[in-house]
Amino acid sequence: MVKLAAKCIVAGDSAVGKTALVQMFCNDGAHFQKNYTLTIGVELLMKTVPIPGTNDSVELFLFDSAGKELFSEILDKLWEQPNALCIVYDVTNEQSFSNSAKWLERLRIQTSGIHIPGVLVGNKIDLTDRRVVERKQAQQWAEANGLEYCEISVKEMENFEAPFHIVANSFHRLYKEKVEIFNSLV
Amino acid sequence: MKFTDYCLSSEGAGVILATSSDEIHPPENIIDGRSETFWTTTGMFPQEFIISFHKCVTISKLKIQCYLVQRLQIEKSISKDPVDFEQCIEKELLCKDGELQMEDFSFPEIQATYLRVIILSAFDAFVSVHRVIAEGLSQESSNSIF
Repeated sequence: MVKLAAKCIVAGDSAVGKTALVQMFCNDGAHFQKNYTLTIGVELLMKTVPIPGTNDSVELFLFDSAGKELFSEILDKLWEQPNALCIVYDVTNEQSFSNSAKWLERLRIQTSGIHIPGVLVGNKIDLTDRRVVERKQAQQWAEANGLEYCEISVKEMENFEAPFHIVANSFHRLYKEKVEIFNSLV
Repeated sequence: MKFTDYCLSSEGAGVILATSSDEIHPPENIIDGRSETFWTTTGMFPQEFIISFHKCVTISKLKIQCYLVQRLQIEKSISKDPVDFEQCIEKELLCKDGELQMEDFSFPEIQATYLRVIILSAFDAFVSVHRVIAEGLSQESSNSIF
């Protein structure tokens, strides 16, 4: 049995639903935040995610980061040595999707060449009439950039746990791979 | 008189604290005298462990066998309890793919009852520590406990 710990950065444009997603995940879907609150710097939340088929678990330290440009200097410091990435965009907002590239680039600078697990998350899929970013397009971009992909609606409580299960499982897999390498050294 | 490695469970050493623990790769593997077994960190840095000796020992050479460690700090204490640590080493290590890092540190003799090893940063998400060796001249007669 092992309990891993991962620093997971949650980033993306402002008002795409990062805080709502993280809060919903951490309080097990008990509460959907109806009013918008501007996140300043970073809010840190922790949740333990069990790894299916094992007795292992991953403690995710979720760094829910401000989407507003205003706080970007603070973020670079708080993001040091990340273990996993979660980039959120709004499927009804084209710009929030195109800006995912910018967020990814900023996060990659922090990882200094180390591959770390990441997921691109399309939120607000309940707003079907207003949708402008198609699943296929986003999925292709995610794949091309080494990210996994999932779509959610925090408001409808649909699939909101998926992004974190994806990164926790990837992080666990990474640990197992590393232990194999450690075993082969001597 | 002969050179003794004090960082061995068979010499009375113990790991009294480690910030990570995988049941399969526990911190005791650092002091079992074997390079094949290791302790793993399980995510996020810094990570540390503290080795206790069975008495105050004099060390003249310190070695560490590890993998993917980038910045390392080693402190020692001569107190009866694991407090009042003083830094004796801070070093940026190099790492070759697939090769165990074997770092030697030489210094004028130091005394210690505890060694604290802090891994400040790493070349990857996880590191392994296979052995710590603390060598010193031992006098066969000095078997006193605190």
